[in-house]
Amino acid sequence: MRFSFALFLILPLAAFADSPFTGRWRLDHARSTALDGWSTCDLVITVAGPRVSLQHDMQWHSTQFSATNTVDTTQSVALPNFFRIEQRHMALYPAKGGVTPVRASWIDAGRTLRLEAETPLEISQGQATMRIYSEYRLLEGNTGLLLIELHSSRPQPLVYRFTKVPESK
Amino acid sequence: MKRFIFLLTLTLTAALTAADNSRPAFVMHWNSDWKVAGALPEKVLLLSLQGLANRNTPQLYIVHPPEFQWEITGPLCSFYERKHGVKFTEIKTAKEALTHFSKSAQGYVIWDPTVPATMNVAFTIAGLDDALVVTTALIPLVEQQGLKLIDDLRGRYTGQTDAQIYTDAVARYWSRCTHDSIMLMGGHVGAVRIPGMADWGVRQKMFFHDLSANPKHAEELALEKKLLAALAPGSIVFGWHSYGKDTEEQHTTLLSGYGLKMEGLHSLPNLSFNCQFSFTPGFKFTNHHHVALDAQLKAESKVYLSFVQSDSIGIGVWTKPGRGQIPFAWQVTMNWAKFSPAALEYFHESATPNDYFIGGLSGPGYMYPNHIPAERFPLLMKEANAMMAVLDEHIMEIMDNSAADGNVGNTDLTKETVDRYYAAFPNVIGFINGYGPARTRDLRDHRPMISYDYYIDPRRPRAEVAADLNELIALNTTRPYFLLVHVRESNDVNSLITITKQLDGPTEVVPVDVFLKLAASQKTYTTRYQDPADPKHFKGYK
Repeated sequence: MRFSFALFLILPLAAFADSPFTGRWRLDHARSTALDGWSTCDLVITVAGPRVSLQHDMQWHSTQFSATNTVDTTQSVALPNFFRIEQRHMALYPAKGGVTPVRASWIDAGRTLRLEAETPLEISQGQATMRIYSEYRLLEGNTGLLLIELHSSRPQPLVYRFTKVPESK
Repeated sequence: MKRFIFLLTLTLTAALTAADNSRPAFVMHWNSDWKVAGALPEKVLLLSLQGLANRNTPQLYIVHPPEFQWEITGPLCSFYERKHGVKFTEIKTAKEALTHFSKSAQGYVIWDPTVPATMNVAFTIAGLDDALVVTTALIPLVEQQGLKLIDDLRGRYTGQTDAQIYTDAVARYWSRCTHDSIMLMGGHVGAVRIPGMADWGVRQKMFFHDLSANPKHAEELALEKKLLAALAPGSIVFGWHSYGKDTEEQHTTLLSGYGLKMEGLHSLPNLSFNCQFSFTPGFKFTNHHHVALDAQLKAESKVYLSFVQSDSIGIGVWTKPGRGQIPFAWQVTMNWAKFSPAALEYFHESATPNDYFIGGLSGPGYMYPNHIPAERFPLLMKEANAMMAVLDEHIMEIMDNSAADGNVGNTDLTKETVDRYYAAFPNVIGFINGYGPARTRDLRDHRPMISYDYYIDPRRPRAEVAADLNELIALNTTRPYFLLVHVRESNDVNSLITITKQLDGPTEVVPVDVFLKLAASQKTYTTRYQDPADPKHFKGYK
């Protein structure tokens, strides 16, 4: 009986681990909007209940950088170090001390994670807010992930295609 | 009839004068093979020969293929013929070159391609003892000219580290080398090396090395510090850092800390020839100024863009299609006024009204000003001011990548550095800062300091560049907005014209002197300096 109770506790976690979003996704450069100031980009997604962790492992030559946005699909969160895949040759910087409210939700029967963020930026004229609407769409077969990112300041979306990295690698 | 005879006399006189003024010299046309296992050894031999042959008079010039990084060797050759009356005779082979110039040498020194540092040690010996630099395979070629062995580096340094090799070389040769300059012969490593500047180092009896400024290589760094400290104040470090050991940022940070000037690249050819020509008689630099130094303009409610290239005008965009169609600023390697004046005259002669020259980079050479010792700063900038006056330049461009990561990251100036520039350059229109984007901005006494808001990577799709610029325009909503753009060397101007046609809102591309004057009229940008809390890629040597 005690064993069954423990199993009951573990089951949901196992279910989360089974989320087809979970795992490491590698950017397909050839089929994506060109990165600027980054040479590689991996997205590591972890789903734990309503919390979704989006870890960005970025590289520029020998420099490695990792940043994680953890969102909650049941409530808005305020992220002090919100990360977006920046075009690094633009004079746009995270505002010092800025906090980014982020709303997240599952749509399309759980096959799309939708994010809405309003991130404060330092610009040459002071400060501005960029609204970012993102969809992380799981593609058929669950080995491809499409990230569509629309900025309030950019007429066309940034489109990034990722391929799932097998766990053994 | 009398008129005909008079004209004929004039023509003949002119022809005879030209003939009298003609200067014989030789030219070689090289290929692109710099492979260690290919044509490098012969090129090394010829570079040492060029340095010695050109020691007293300009005799040997090299023309590189158009795809060579320094694209101007061909046009400059024509310039010498046209403006200096040089009559070049072509030399086709190394043997032929030796036949002409072997008397410039006293003998030869043998280097070992399996121990790369021996090439640099051999170049040092070449300058000091008038030696040609050869590999084993090339010995018969120089002995045919009656040259004798001066030194043999084969085996001497086998198994030793670069730190050990250069320590030995310092002990043997440093005291006899010039202490006004030094040759950092780094750059490419491995299968390909391009020591195109070696002729200059040999001619000037410089110490050659490729010591590392990377703190990981503590012994090499310590030795290089010792050498830099022993150079005369204000000396020039010629060449370039080793791509296999450290970064441009580390090395420029290091030498700036000694108040020294960097002058690259390692591949820059023909300085031993170029340094012996002055400006043609009567030539005076006249920049295409669009505003007077004391002019006051009024900005309108629009977006002003200005384009600048700072990777030395000898590289890249100058020869690309479209130059002259839009206003474009070029950062001049000001030191060329001293050792390559004809090249500067060539650029000025071929400049269109839309080509505008600005001073840099950071001073009288490539330096990172955040690291220049305070006591060295005024004298260095006095030198920069003097060169800007000669070159008729009204704008100083500054770059400090000491905390950056290549062309991204922190390229900002401390307030102390900004204060020093404003004090040192009272007569400029303003200052430009950055390489990649930066956020140092100021306005004092109608002299703005504006950083780049955007850097155009030549590989970035043009549609994305236009989208990036439009995004900056969308986020910087106050008008006027001053959008300064740095154009990487290998972009071409035609593609920039295409981009400007895709921009949103009322925009205008203006010359950078107009841009700064407009920026002085309405300060819609923040005042900002390097914030100690800003991320730093390289935190220095301590």
